[in-house]
Amino acid sequence: MNLHPMKLVTIVCEAYAADAVLRLLAEVGASGHTSFAVEGTGARGRRLADIPEYANTQFEVIVRPELAALLLQRLGAELFPRYAMVAFESDVRVLRADKF
Amino acid sequence: MSDALLANLLSPAVLFFALGLAAALVRSELKFPEPLYSALTIYLLVAIGFKGGVAIAEAGVARVWLPALAAIGLGAFIPLWTYPVLRWGGRLAPVDAAAIAAHYGSVSAVTFLAATNYLAAIGRPYESHAVALLAVMESPAILVGVVLGKRAAGGPPVPLGLVVREALFGRSIFLLLGALLVGALCGPTGMEKVGAFFVTPFQGVLALFLLEMGIVAGRRLEDLRRVGPFLLAFGVVVPVLNAVLGVAVGKAAGLSSGGSMLLGVLAASASYIAAPAAVRLALPEANPTLSLTAALAITFPFNLTLGIPLCDVLARWLHP
Repeated sequence: MNLHPMKLVTIVCEAYAADAVLRLLAEVGASGHTSFAVEGTGARGRRLADIPEYANTQFEVIVRPELAALLLQRLGAELFPRYAMVAFESDVRVLRADKF
Repeated sequence: MSDALLANLLSPAVLFFALGLAAALVRSELKFPEPLYSALTIYLLVAIGFKGGVAIAEAGVARVWLPALAAIGLGAFIPLWTYPVLRWGGRLAPVDAAAIAAHYGSVSAVTFLAATNYLAAIGRPYESHAVALLAVMESPAILVGVVLGKRAAGGPPVPLGLVVREALFGRSIFLLLGALLVGALCGPTGMEKVGAFFVTPFQGVLALFLLEMGIVAGRRLEDLRRVGPFLLAFGVVVPVLNAVLGVAVGKAAGLSSGGSMLLGVLAASASYIAAPAAVRLALPEANPTLSLTAALAITFPFNLTLGIPLCDVLARWLHP
């Protein structure tokens, strides 16, 4: 089986940041994403997600390595100062490289 | 006062809220599925908006504009006087003071609903079109608070368009204004068609919703330790002062005793849905735990139990 190396960028943020994250994903040219509601704890304490307004969202995006670096760099510069969020990348391998 | 207090404390709405608080305190597993919360919110906002719209159609816009203007002025004024109190009285950072001031100038729709419920229960008439005041009072304080905070803080540039959009067309205010418009266009004939759905079950739905809000507020009670004694006192004293202001402005704007009481409740209430969303966008440096804990864990329960009957007593005293 021929697998291609890619980066999985994971972004966990307060739901208020979701619009800004989606705009950024479009700007850097990510071809798609998956998002879902999450809850948990972080450096600043509990992040209760009991009602949609206080929810937290996790985004998962598979992109080429150079795009992952750009995405993380822009996240750090533009969105980290404004919203509660964390982001990280990991190595993944995909079947169809042309999809990303 | 004791009659009013007892009537309020023993209402299904307040008792279910207390039940929700208790559920959170004993760490019961009771939890509403998120779609139910959203559905109840939509129902309540549409029901109250529609009813208010029909009332505007019956009363005519001529009787609504002056109280509405007074409500807008009141909403813009509250952050202006609470900001210095927070900044220098509470020694809070400018941006935190501005954020909290915005929350307290904006309003809580659920507190308003509970107040109309209270008036209906004790049989006191009020202007049904007062819901227009709720609709117009949500945004002005947010905008004033954001300007105050931005002047003080600087920080990264704000997407101002986004903030205005959030303050004016956030989910809740859009639904409320939209239902108000639909109600005003339909008038009483429309009400005949949907009254059985939007009016009769209303109190039951509100009770259910307050059960959920009790859980939501109760889960934040442990944050009280983190906000300090000043905000604890602020969350109780400022609503009382704003209530006096609101009732007096209501009377001056020509509202009845019931209508003035409702404007008092609006002035006393603090937003925990619309304001947090807009303030997070515009003043990201502000600590949301401070404003949200004060609005949701202190002021909301206070108003629901004591603030509402207090406004009623004030309004009756001003309208002998």
